[in-house]
Amino acid sequence: MGLMARLVGLLLALSCAGCGPTQVSGPVADRAAAAVLRETLLSSDAADDAEVEAVASGTGWGSLKGRFIFVGNPGESTPLLVDKDTTICSKDGKKLFDQSLRVDPSSKGLADVVVFARKASRVREPMAATPLVFDQKNCEFLSPVLAARVGQPVDVRNSDPIGHNTNISGSSFNQLIPAGAGTIYTPDRETGMPVSVTCNIHPWMKAYAVFRKDGYVAVSAADGSFELANLPADEPIEFQVWHARSTGPNGGLGLDQPTLKWTSKGRFTITIPPDDIEDLGTLEVPAAALGI
Amino acid sequence: MNMHLPVSVVMLLVASCLATVGCGPTPPAPFRLNMVEAISPTAEKDSIAAEQALVPAQQKQVATILLAMFGTPDAPECLPETGLDPAKLRLAAGPVRSDIVGRKNGLYREHCVHCHGITGDGLGPTAAFLNPYPRDYRPGVFKYKSTERADKPTHADLVTILHNGIPGTSMPSFGLLSPTQIEALVEYVKYLSIRGETELALMRYFFELDDEDEGRLSETREFLVDEVLQPIAEKWVAAADAIIEVPEAPENLDLAVSVAKGKELFYGERANCVKCHGVTGLGDGQANDYDDWSKNIVKIEGKLTSLAGNDLDPAERRWVADFGQVLDGEALRPRTIPPRNLRRGIYRGGRRPLDLYYRIHAGINGAPMPAAAGTVSPEEIWHIVNYVRSLPYDFDGELGVDRSVAIQPPAAESFAAQENTD
Repeated sequence: MGLMARLVGLLLALSCAGCGPTQVSGPVADRAAAAVLRETLLSSDAADDAEVEAVASGTGWGSLKGRFIFVGNPGESTPLLVDKDTTICSKDGKKLFDQSLRVDPSSKGLADVVVFARKASRVREPMAATPLVFDQKNCEFLSPVLAARVGQPVDVRNSDPIGHNTNISGSSFNQLIPAGAGTIYTPDRETGMPVSVTCNIHPWMKAYAVFRKDGYVAVSAADGSFELANLPADEPIEFQVWHARSTGPNGGLGLDQPTLKWTSKGRFTITIPPDDIEDLGTLEVPAAALGI
Repeated sequence: MNMHLPVSVVMLLVASCLATVGCGPTPPAPFRLNMVEAISPTAEKDSIAAEQALVPAQQKQVATILLAMFGTPDAPECLPETGLDPAKLRLAAGPVRSDIVGRKNGLYREHCVHCHGITGDGLGPTAAFLNPYPRDYRPGVFKYKSTERADKPTHADLVTILHNGIPGTSMPSFGLLSPTQIEALVEYVKYLSIRGETELALMRYFFELDDEDEGRLSETREFLVDEVLQPIAEKWVAAADAIIEVPEAPENLDLAVSVAKGKELFYGERANCVKCHGVTGLGDGQANDYDDWSKNIVKIEGKLTSLAGNDLDPAERRWVADFGQVLDGEALRPRTIPPRNLRRGIYRGGRRPLDLYYRIHAGINGAPMPAAAGTVSPEEIWHIVNYVRSLPYDFDGELGVDRSVAIQPPAAESFAAQENTD
């Protein structure tokens, strides 16, 4: 009888526990709203409220410039783990360092900050026909950030005596680059925010690439300065600012400035008078904004 | 008589228990939202920040848009712009059952779901036990195909994979299914892929919104169909025109000469195969890299580790905690991707010389393998193909750069013999 009681108990437990409806976790779609939306998507003559394309409202051209300064102590760069082709990559015991934060010791200029126009109503400069050079030497990319216009040829070179491959994330480009050779890559679409460039043979190698249709993209130089010329003047343009180490969303770098309003995504809007150079002056980037 | 009563009592109890608690019908299987992406919606996973994670209302909006565009696993829908055939989808979708003429329906759930998952996320119940992991279709990236690196596979490429399976992996051949059934499954894989890519695009679009959009995507046809869906669907259609042109292998070519040339290229600085596939060809060169699927998880974990020492505000702390939960439940442990051991004679993308040509020409999408086309000539690619095909038969001598080269043509019989001894 004791056995029977246990059996009954077991069966009871099994039959009660086993059959609850499965819990569905995660967000659940709104069925009614989806049904309505589906009708909209199926009707080919839907109301024409297309996104407003940037329409030229001004005339003339102007420039934007400024200089990014790092405020705080950048600390020591981290040496990279170099464990392949050491005869070339760490020749004579030379160390390679992480290049994602480059601060000029004397001027405190912050290099490799990317500034680009999110939308431009018109473009002045014709497409440059001469290729930009993107080189690698001693197992390091010589430009930490490659900025090019969509359609502008880029000469991806290898100045090392060993082979590399250059892999641009999210693009069709992952190509072997033989020692001392080069190949032409023509970016065919915008990247949005910069994407990573790596070499799979030497995994410590890392750079970034940003491609824009209008070519309105600048990368700050070693002293932190940047300039975007021939921008459409007399109309508001929204700019996006990015840095590899920024703690902002997607690497967006937002600054706290009294004169210019920056969004948390690292954007600001400005109208440049015609034939003028709008100088943003010194733009201070606190260490905390780069997670230091 | 003594035993009779207790048994009937047991039966009665079980019956009444079932009746009162009730085994209601199982709710229909739902598509799952891509939670890893929802919490880090960007292609560059090392530049993520807490504030860009989608809030519940945004996740709900994505789920609602996807339901409107793609329906449910039991009742898939496809807009005409996808180019998909709804009749084929119906045959593959839903629970396993027979229709009115006795034709088997629900093929995806019969054959695929246990590895690839209801959502096509490669997270079926068996996934964690397989190496390599089953493909996650949602990024729309496929490795073994006849098209250029970044292009989609053709319809025929996917049919071939289903027909042959993928040697060296857990993907079996479905050669016993009828052509109609394979067609239906290929169409359904494309459907899951287009759906997954649309989901990624929608989630990443939130960052592009302006402040006045108040964190909500536009639900117009122009945005959802013209701007988001169409570019994705067009790439699938364009695959047919992106097939790699393969010149015939040079005629009256002395195979021994070709193999020797291929060997030179394999070890040379131009093709540089040796860097990853190793001086022995055993795949023991550069071997600590990841494929794109695993790399995303590695990058996220790296980012979370780097945050661990910092002072986090409450929102960031919640984000890190959420991430822990999502990674536990919705992501497989990242694994490094070994370069192929070329001495085993097992080729995942097919062992025809043509298949090897495609791999070398275009590289492997989603994997570290780079493209050699443009760096070496088509004729040189054929030499490398011949050398690679000779490697499994290269038994005479030590492994290493100095060994003599096998010159016997890899005949069909020796392939069979090799497999039998394996």
